[in-house]
Amino acid sequence: MSDFPPSSITSPSLAVRCLRALASLKLTLILIILLLAGVLIIYYTKTRFIWALALPFIGFAINLTATVLTNPVFRRQLALLVFHLALIGIALLIAVERLTYLKGQVEVVEGETFTGQMLREESGPWHPRRLDKLQLTNENFTVNYTNSDGILRRVDTRNQVAWVSPNGVAGRSIIGDQEPLLLGGYRFYTTINKGFAPVFSWRPADGSAERVGAVHLPSYPRMHLQQQNEWQPPGSATSVWVMLQIDEEILSPDAPSQLRVPDKHKVIVRLDKARWELKPGDSIRLPDGVLVYQELRKWMGYDVTYNFTLPWLLAASILAVLSMAWHFWQKFMARPWNPTGNPNEK
Amino acid sequence: MELQILWAALVTYVLAGSLAIFGFVMKRKPERTVLLLLVLGVLLHTTSIAMRWERMGHGPYITMFEALSSGIWNLMLIYTLIYWRIPAIRATAAVVMPILFVMMGWMMLFPPGEIGHKPQVYHTVWLYIHIGFAKAFISTVFIAVGISGIILLRKIRYGAERFAHLPNDTRLDDLSFRFMAVAMIFQTLMLITGAIWAQDAWGRYWDWDPLETWAFITWIFVIFSLHLRHTYKTSPQIGALLVIGVFITAFLVFFGIPFVSTNFHQGVGGA
Ligand code: HEM
Repeated sequence: MSDFPPSSITSPSLAVRCLRALASLKLTLILIILLLAGVLIIYYTKTRFIWALALPFIGFAINLTATVLTNPVFRRQLALLVFHLALIGIALLIAVERLTYLKGQVEVVEGETFTGQMLREESGPWHPRRLDKLQLTNENFTVNYTNSDGILRRVDTRNQVAWVSPNGVAGRSIIGDQEPLLLGGYRFYTTINKGFAPVFSWRPADGSAERVGAVHLPSYPRMHLQQQNEWQPPGSATSVWVMLQIDEEILSPDAPSQLRVPDKHKVIVRLDKARWELKPGDSIRLPDGVLVYQELRKWMGYDVTYNFTLPWLLAASILAVLSMAWHFWQKFMARPWNPTGNPNEK
Repeated sequence: MELQILWAALVTYVLAGSLAIFGFVMKRKPERTVLLLLVLGVLLHTTSIAMRWERMGHGPYITMFEALSSGIWNLMLIYTLIYWRIPAIRATAAVVMPILFVMMGWMMLFPPGEIGHKPQVYHTVWLYIHIGFAKAFISTVFIAVGISGIILLRKIRYGAERFAHLPNDTRLDDLSFRFMAVAMIFQTLMLITGAIWAQDAWGRYWDWDPLETWAFITWIFVIFSLHLRHTYKTSPQIGALLVIGVFITAFLVFFGIPFVSTNFHQGVGGA
């Protein structure tokens, strides 16, 4: 015998009815369609409009919670529940990643040390910035090329770096291609973006201390016909054009070769109508100081990323796959794979 | 030489398919012969691909010809295995072999190509794992397509008569969605290993490039089908249409997108 008044049995409370509505599997279908719409919006508008994905996933979380509370199917099918929870976990991790990520680029000349100034970057609002607490020195790098069908092709990139981590540990590594340097949570990847960098010293006319700077010429060999750039010596008000003229073959059209600094080259500096051809050691007088061409080096462009959720994301994804496989395994083992034509068979 | 073996393999497939279609029309069941021909075709095809791999120094994934050849190969390999192990699907041969004929014809429109180079990002074991799951995915859907074809053909009398000896539509629908469920697991693994590869190669596990996006859309389509079927207890015919829809989408993603954009994925290549 029930002690409840009959009315509460025939019409459940409003809260329970709401919960049941939220647990509707039809809502799940609508949310899946919304997810599809979100993907299309992101893809075709080329924006990172994360709400397009966040909203369906928040919907999934509510829908799933309500279902777990009201629908016995998940209590009977543990594997299925674990799968759906792992899915929500993945969505949460991606949200955390969007709030804390950093993505950027930096170019470092051989022999130079990176101490936190990025060329370009974007980051989430809660990114725990530690880039300025680490050091990365680009000691030297090689890029090998082969030739097939008359087309120059990049083979492998190897970059020797020395580093100091945010907590003061120092070391050296070789990175390149698929192998980034993992330092203080940041990953440094070498890229196809690399080139030559004439290094100059600058002696200001006002007698202040000499400074050294490098011009990052456009990426080589991709922009090999445009090896010039506008540049201001460090601390100078004068802007000059610096051009590199290479007088020998570096990357061979018919044999394996390696990217290297050319022995035979000229650096051409232009200011208005004036034009100078410089060899290492040559100097020129500019309105506010003396510019000395020292040597030619190479610079490497790095992609820098920060994403601490990666191992968790992988773990959640593996959990999702395993629980789904487990669910289907249980489901399919209950009935044979080879149905017969017997109509009485269930 | 490798090309001659390839033609021999294709001829063997055509024989197997024609025999299956003949059996369907004549209400015969030449299943053992079809199985033998399928096995022979797969063996020849494997030999040809292996020889070319050895000679070129890279697997069959650079030119369109190679991609289609290896696509046909994996569909046939998995299909033959299932044909052997699960006799209940043998009648599907008459449905799926014509799809393969179309692919073979399409392949012959392309030159084999002699490109001997693969980009640096292809030098990783994740490539093989990722592509392996992708192939397992589409091959598994392919079998579900065969079963779905039977369900739909049974709507007309000609088909109903010839497929009368098979289990009823509900049972076939159940079987077809088993393959869809297995396919979904392969597909999820494909997405995960692809993300691992992308993280390795380009420092980001996801970037909405055309192939990534459309692979994900296909995945959404699969979970939509599984949920729709479950929520609305859809009829076997609707289920069959969903399966075929998924296959067409997956097929276009596989053989369409990589070859309209210049690279499989963005970011591959460049000097
Ligand atoms: C958060 C909202 C969701 C809810 C409430 C929900 C609920 C359910 C329920 C009740 C089942 C049926 C279990 C059964 O009786 O066999 C199910 C199955 C399933 N769901 Fe979801 N689901 C949700 C979202 C998703 C999403 C986003 C995916 C994407 C992968 C997904 C994938 C699956 C799969 C693969 C099955 C198994 C189908 C089968 O056994 O044939 N679900 N879901």
